[in-house]
Amino acid sequence: MSIKAAIYLDSNAGAPLKPVAREKILSLLDGEANLGGPRSFSFIPNPSSVHSYGRRAKRLSAEAREKIAGSLGATVDPEQLVFTSSGTEANQLVVRSVLEPLLNSGKSPHWITTRIEHDSNRKLVDWVRSRGGRVSELPVDSEGRIQLNGAEEVFSQGAVLCSFVWVNNETGVIADVKGLVGLSQRFGVPVHIDAAQAWGKISVDLSILQAQYVTFSGHKIGGLAGTGVLWVGRGQLVSPVILGKQEKGRRGGSENLLGVVALGAAAGDVDPEGWTKRVRPIRDRLEFEITRRISGTWVNGGRADRVANTLNLNFDGVERDGLVMALDLSGYSVSAGSACSSGVLESSHVLQAMGKTELQAMAAIRVSLVDETSWVELEGFVTALDQAVARMRSAAVRSF
Amino acid sequence: MSALTEKKRVLVAMSGGVDSSVAAALLKNQGYEVIGVHMQLWNHGQANVERFGGRCCSLIDANDARRVCDKLDIPYYVINAQDVFQDKVVDYFVHEYLQNRTPNPCVQCNTQIKFSYLFQKADELGCDWVATGHYAQVVQDGVSGHASLMRGVDPQKDQTYFLFGLTQKALRRTMMPLGNLPKMMVRKLAEEFGLAVASKPDSQEICFIGEEGYVGFIESRTTPPLRPVGLIRSFDGNIIGEHEGLYKFTVGQKKGLQLKDKEHQNYFVLGFESKTQTLIVGPEEQLYRTDLLAGKVNWIRPINQIKSHRIKAKIRSRHEESSCLVTCFENFRVQVSFDEPQRAITPGQAIVFYDGDEVLGGGFIDDVLNTSEVSKGLRV
Repeated sequence: MSIKAAIYLDSNAGAPLKPVAREKILSLLDGEANLGGPRSFSFIPNPSSVHSYGRRAKRLSAEAREKIAGSLGATVDPEQLVFTSSGTEANQLVVRSVLEPLLNSGKSPHWITTRIEHDSNRKLVDWVRSRGGRVSELPVDSEGRIQLNGAEEVFSQGAVLCSFVWVNNETGVIADVKGLVGLSQRFGVPVHIDAAQAWGKISVDLSILQAQYVTFSGHKIGGLAGTGVLWVGRGQLVSPVILGKQEKGRRGGSENLLGVVALGAAAGDVDPEGWTKRVRPIRDRLEFEITRRISGTWVNGGRADRVANTLNLNFDGVERDGLVMALDLSGYSVSAGSACSSGVLESSHVLQAMGKTELQAMAAIRVSLVDETSWVELEGFVTALDQAVARMRSAAVRSF
Repeated sequence: MSALTEKKRVLVAMSGGVDSSVAAALLKNQGYEVIGVHMQLWNHGQANVERFGGRCCSLIDANDARRVCDKLDIPYYVINAQDVFQDKVVDYFVHEYLQNRTPNPCVQCNTQIKFSYLFQKADELGCDWVATGHYAQVVQDGVSGHASLMRGVDPQKDQTYFLFGLTQKALRRTMMPLGNLPKMMVRKLAEEFGLAVASKPDSQEICFIGEEGYVGFIESRTTPPLRPVGLIRSFDGNIIGEHEGLYKFTVGQKKGLQLKDKEHQNYFVLGFESKTQTLIVGPEEQLYRTDLLAGKVNWIRPINQIKSHRIKAKIRSRHEESSCLVTCFENFRVQVSFDEPQRAITPGQAIVFYDGDEVLGGGFIDDVLNTSEVSKGLRV
């Protein structure tokens, strides 16, 4: 048996490369940066070089930067963007920039975040606490919506940063950005938004967002993994984690030109409205069919405002980590909460924050459609899911 | 063997070691649809990756198993069995020591995890069979469907002692493809299949116990009142010393007694008096006993419960099986009378019954009987 061409339903983990990004990469590999030199001379010059190759590379990088800035809002200045290796790096760069100087000087800064953050922020909770800082994690309701009731008390203590995820990667639930930003502004707390899953899925306009830091990830919109972007609001400082001259001294290391131009092309092609129009009816039909055919189905975050492609499901009587594997064997690639380095699935902290038990939170699956997913493919998926759930349920009964 | 010739889906339990890797490769070559599953049983934590390198349950093992499955081009999944393992094996291990018994966690792991939890996984994944890299053989009667557990052909490697807890239901769906191979051959096959684990050393000690040893492990998981100090009494009734906790001793142990009198220098642990937390010691000849009571007995081959049976039994994994008479009682209990006295019969250890190469069943030793009790009429 070899790897079958499985149906890919895990777009939130990594979206397929956009054709325009692929074209841009190939054109660069085919010598676009060679200034008319021999075509076989596959060459990615260093944008920091002074010579003509370097200048050409710098121009390609600047074009990409402009394209990305343009896609993020009318008044976004390309110079406000810092390229990083990932959304994870961008998030950690923000939190460290703001908190580390205070921690180093022996202060106990207060960081406000939420219980449903991506690991890139969540891993810093213990770090901040171990360094003597204070962390408040805002709770969510059973639908995964960040709770603003009672948050005032947290904000009134004063804080140096409020970090929250705009669109949750597991449930697709969209946060009340207006409410959170408004609250932060009232108490003068700088806002850091993790927009990795929002970009391309909902309209992102940094010129009206009134945040101080916003982070993005390349491979969630059809760029390459290994690229991330941090947008830094005017007057906000970034103290680099990796020292170097690049990115105006805010992030060292030779530019990832290939990744940057691919991201520029992908960013120029995002169309959240069109995408939502195409994907939402298919997701809604899938949700309807699954809940109709499989009794005891729970749609996590189903009553909240969600992005168009995400469906997070629990099934009564399925309280273990086997569903993702069973579906993989049937040729459907879905995912669960998160996997640790050995590949073992861990219970989702997001679903636990929504009130699920540890085992339920381990048993949930996330279906995230790609733009091209057709209903024909999903019909087979519903049948496979129905069978897998039935097997899981009877295996659980037999084991008693 | 007709059932085996239908090429079906088989879940192979892969530890990341050479044995289970070769088992998977053999089954794949025989045309089965093989699915590799690694059970993460114990989280040593990131910091300990180096320290536990090459040992059971480590991240390295999970990755080794992954590499083998990539090579064989079969699906591979890591399943989280940490809470089950904690509950059924680790807690049991600590609890047994606190009850003055000497547990065998590998027996428990095979019965409670590998051959129960894995079958649930197999059902979930639509697998017809479960296979392991154990050195043992499953022989199924083509007419009755009865499955027998037989010793592996390599006497040095035979692992049937750890497998007596298998039920008929499980055994009928179990394959152990290495049972008819010597270890040497398995390593050679691993090389021929081009598996990266071909020269990986065998796992030895208890997988969840690190450098602190089992004593340190128990201390880290219990409060001092659970492991009181007490007196040491000689077999003839004299108090001859003090001990720092019975959990530090096992029957037949000599090290660590720290007895002052010269005449006691050759004394061994004979047993425990739980009520008074007293350690009983004496000279080596006192270690030899003939009779024991065992509980939680599982018979793989159904036997007549009314009759006594003249069979052979093994009282620890490295024990040479000896002839005995087994009498069954209610509630899965048996009395075993060996023809010859056996050294250091140890409560908590498994006793496994054999008829030739076939495993009849086994249980856990509860009590050692002294000769006076036997003569009082406990022998049936």
